[in-house]
Amino acid sequence: MYRNPNLRRGIDAASAFFAKAILVFLLILFTVMTVYPVIWLLVSSLKTTQEFQMNRIGLPKEPTLRNYPMAWKIGDFSTLFVNSLIYTGATTIAIVLISFSAAFAFAKIRSRATPILYQSFVVGILLTLQSIMVPLFLMTNAVGLYDTRLGILIPYIGLGLPMGVYLGTEFIKSIPDALVESAKIEGAGYLRIFYKIIFPMSAPVAVTLSIMNVTSTWNEFMLINILASKTSIKSLPVGILKFSGALASDYGKQFAALVIGMVPLLVFYLVFRKQITKGLTAGAVKG
Amino acid sequence: MKSITRSGETTRAYLILVLPAVLLYFAVMAFPTLFSITLSLTNYSGGKVFGEGSDWKFVGFKHYARMFRDQYFWIALKNNFWIMLMSVFIQIPLGFVFAYTIFRKLIRGGEFFQTMIYMPSVISSIVVAVLWQTIFSPYGPVTDFMRLFNPTWENTIANDPNRAILPVLFVMVWFYTGMYLIIFLANLQKIDTQVIEAARIDGASEGQMLRAIILPALSGVIVTSAILAIAGSLKSFDLIFAMTSGNPARRTSVLSLYMYDNAFRGSPDYPLANAISTFMVALSFVLIVATKKLEKRFGGKE
Repeated sequence: MYRNPNLRRGIDAASAFFAKAILVFLLILFTVMTVYPVIWLLVSSLKTTQEFQMNRIGLPKEPTLRNYPMAWKIGDFSTLFVNSLIYTGATTIAIVLISFSAAFAFAKIRSRATPILYQSFVVGILLTLQSIMVPLFLMTNAVGLYDTRLGILIPYIGLGLPMGVYLGTEFIKSIPDALVESAKIEGAGYLRIFYKIIFPMSAPVAVTLSIMNVTSTWNEFMLINILASKTSIKSLPVGILKFSGALASDYGKQFAALVIGMVPLLVFYLVFRKQITKGLTAGAVKG
Repeated sequence: MKSITRSGETTRAYLILVLPAVLLYFAVMAFPTLFSITLSLTNYSGGKVFGEGSDWKFVGFKHYARMFRDQYFWIALKNNFWIMLMSVFIQIPLGFVFAYTIFRKLIRGGEFFQTMIYMPSVISSIVVAVLWQTIFSPYGPVTDFMRLFNPTWENTIANDPNRAILPVLFVMVWFYTGMYLIIFLANLQKIDTQVIEAARIDGASEGQMLRAIILPALSGVIVTSAILAIAGSLKSFDLIFAMTSGNPARRTSVLSLYMYDNAFRGSPDYPLANAISTFMVALSFVLIVATKKLEKRFGGKE
């Protein structure tokens, strides 16, 4: 097409340059779009509702923290915060312990039951909460656990097990059998081997799994919304939703409530960024 | 004799280690799944399930027929397909483009961009929903922004049945694109850099490298991402529940919300709700198998 090779090279270089410029521009634009609403929320939470209605985009003339104590009180955040901490902590610890002990048995103890049990956990990764929501609600009511912390914790733990068993088993399989064998020869039982050798060695995967469960449990909404009606049992996301309906036009308090709901996990994310993204890719590999 | 006690100890250890997980898993996931399918075939509408005073019988596929005749089912299904198309054709390509830009170091500070774009994914979907509901509301900054260009612009998106889903789709792009960025970037970083360097020395252009090295290496991950997108789009609930509740006039409803409405809003219709959830499981299964088949047929060599 182009007779002159120099001209052709020039056009190629120019089009490559423009292609790169478009990619970089898109990336910057999307990043600004991602960050801006979060910053806008932080800034807006420092305005009174009156000031926000006059000035929705600019900086506050007189920044105030007044919205925060009011939102905290209206939203019952003292109760909800403690509940969220309990659910997140207990669920995460239980999932790691329970799924890793099963994972150890699946990976290192020969048994005819293993293939079918392990496969049923792997299938569980694909099951969605929607498909079991109504039965869980009926069962929780039938056994009298509706509106109790235990009634929330049991399904939370159960729902996290498939991923935990899967990640744990795949990791423990990679630990050499010789390690288990030599400990057996020295007379250690399987339970001792698990607590003394395997569990400490699985720490990296345990951390990844914990972090995945901290974010998902802290943010969980659908299940707790149907299994609890008392404020003393609910968690943060349920409380924040209160600021959407009747209180929606009280912007100052709404923004403060949203910041209260957002900040703990943003801090958690910035601290554990590496492990969070690692967990995401580990979870996605299952395919 | 000794070997017998040994195997006894082994069996006992196996049970102690495995039982807590198995019991919880069957109680919370396996049994409820079967329970749900069963309920969808009965006329159960509350009350006892077993024993005296239980009052229900099998009625076949009646509730499925009822579901397929319900116009709200089709509205919800259509929205699920919009969300799925948007994930596959907007989120995944954007995630790939951003990962590629960072991987090829077309811009400095890749780590920063990666961190920022993934950030929304860790925020609770309820917070995200309420925040964007306000941003898009007639009293929110979107209105101010549009009036910069057109001073008489009226913000009616949230009330317009035909367009109300658009803000939801937009927020989903904002919310989830970072996830695909991270997945693609992690897999791009697995590609042997020597292969890329060698191609560069041989005079391959950026476009040739993309076609010959990078895309083939990622074909498996692209399918995985598509599966995640399909499964994820059927799961979407929290965001829509908190942002629009499916309104106006149920036009932004999705299957999970349609099921929730039938089970928990107004008088409960458990059989219909369970027919919906069984349909959702079947649909996601069919879509995932279809994606894998398509990949086998048209997918590149891995």
